[in-house]
Amino acid sequence: MIEARGLTKRYGPKTAVDGVTFTVQPGTVTGFLGPNGAGKSTTMRMIMGLDRPTAGTVTVNGRPYAEHRSPLTEVGALLDAKAIHTGRTAYNHLRAMAATHGIPTKRVDEVIEMTGLPSVAKKRVGGFSLGMGQRLGIASALLGDPKTLILDEPVNGLDPEGVLWVRNLARYLASEGRTVFLSSHLMSEVALTADHIVVIGKGRILADAPVSEIVDGGAGQTVRVRTPHATQLAELVARDGATVTSDEPSLLQISGVEAPAIGELAAAAGIVLHELTPVTSTLEEAYMSLTADSVEYQTEAAAAHLGHGAGERPAAPPVAPVAPEAPTQNEGAIR
Amino acid sequence: MTAATLTTGPTTGRASTYRLTFGHVLRSEWIKFRSLRSTWWTIGTTVLVMVLFSLTMAASMNFAANDAEMAAAMGNVSTVQAIVLGYVFAQLSVAVLGALVITGEYATGMIRSTLSAVPRRLPALWAKTIIVGLVTFAVAIVGIGLSYLATMPMLSGNDLVPDLGDGTVQRVILACAAYLTFVAIVAVGVGTIMRHSAGSIFTLVALLFVLPLVASFLTQEWVQDIAKFLPMNLGTAMMVVTEADAGGVEVLSPGSATVAMAVWSVVALAAAAVTLKRRDA
Repeated sequence: MIEARGLTKRYGPKTAVDGVTFTVQPGTVTGFLGPNGAGKSTTMRMIMGLDRPTAGTVTVNGRPYAEHRSPLTEVGALLDAKAIHTGRTAYNHLRAMAATHGIPTKRVDEVIEMTGLPSVAKKRVGGFSLGMGQRLGIASALLGDPKTLILDEPVNGLDPEGVLWVRNLARYLASEGRTVFLSSHLMSEVALTADHIVVIGKGRILADAPVSEIVDGGAGQTVRVRTPHATQLAELVARDGATVTSDEPSLLQISGVEAPAIGELAAAAGIVLHELTPVTSTLEEAYMSLTADSVEYQTEAAAAHLGHGAGERPAAPPVAPVAPEAPTQNEGAIR
Repeated sequence: MTAATLTTGPTTGRASTYRLTFGHVLRSEWIKFRSLRSTWWTIGTTVLVMVLFSLTMAASMNFAANDAEMAAAMGNVSTVQAIVLGYVFAQLSVAVLGALVITGEYATGMIRSTLSAVPRRLPALWAKTIIVGLVTFAVAIVGIGLSYLATMPMLSGNDLVPDLGDGTVQRVILACAAYLTFVAIVAVGVGTIMRHSAGSIFTLVALLFVLPLVASFLTQEWVQDIAKFLPMNLGTAMMVVTEADAGGVEVLSPGSATVAMAVWSVVALAAAAVTLKRRDA
């Protein structure tokens, strides 16, 4: 269980995390979602006692992390894959980490096996790909058989197989009653893995709810209607309290009225419909609409630098594209 | 990862028996220290530099024994200087050893793993200091021993081989090892405060070499009073037997110089402890 209360971190005039309060429950996978620069990593570092909060408190299993007698058995963390000395072998890194808590070498061998690293364990970490680094970080987090796991962007750089493995691992750890808190800037990834989502943007909590609730509470359902009598239909449904928008002369986006009702209205009025499609908001759209105002690095700003006039920009602020996951390294070596 | 294992708990032992203790942290730091190539390179360099410098010094002493002019120039230098004088350059490599133990972790991000495992932080600093201190002391003794063996054939002709059974010779050998140990500890402190390898090494070179050199060109009395407390001059003072050993420069007594070096180490470590505890990792 992780409990943050009014957690705040300021770097000079910049507020990275702004009074966040949330609880991460054991037995579930909680996703920590937000655009780049939203404050996810800073929050995680504060949980681990690496960064000192400017204000507020955060406890893990009832105490500040540093006050636990054997911290590695309470929390295992993958904070970033680069938190490993590049001149040491994976095996020696894990052995040194294990030694701080008197964890036997046998356990080191186990986590190496578990994370699929046996073939590279005796190689120096400097030559590791991003994905192998991630696996080593996860191995390190599992060393103390901890009650709580904190994983910052665990699937970064993993191949599809590795992504699936992390997903199953997170779910399995939660099913054992552990607390699993993992961050991502990819809604699709979190939606597949997490039961509960905490959304952060510009250092503030934007949503804290079960996955299903976030999806339903998103942009809502709209119906796409194509008809040669668009104006007539728009007037009809507007009378029923629907909201209508239109991008093309014969195309309407109707929200507030269900598709069957629109069909019946059109039939009664003798209006021909060429298309009648209910459009469910996707998770991605729900996420976009939640974070639209809080994206740290907006493409709009970039456009302004390129000299585009304000009038050329679309009315809605363009959101920085959420990068599709791209495994950057070849993971073949660690099969 | 086709055979992704889904058993995460340890098959032997129980997590509840895992404990963070200072002994465990010391062991962890020892594993870390041993498992880096840079450790062995710097240790090797230290020993090599000590032996090579001793050979040079022994050659000069040999020459002086047969040449009145050279003998007058060198004065009555004690024979033990031939085997300890390598500290002048060895202090740089032990400073690098001490600094890298911590700056290497900042450079690679390892420090976040270290401080996650030891969130109270200071035990990790003390463990690093103890290991660097003990290893440096041992390496210095080995370096002096090899210097003794290497110079013996050359010095024996003129009966200049230092007598290891002599109390003064033993004191100077211990002083040399102690001085290098203090320098390494100061370096751990400087590395912790500065967090960058290059910056730390630059600072240490300035402290160990540049400042004493600059001071030696200045004649003002107050400069000389301060210069006495610079590490290099304290090192000379700790190892002085005859007046000629100090090269004609006024130095503190060996006892006071040892205390002054200890103060340098303690101050550097205290400043390191405060910054490590307070700063974000």
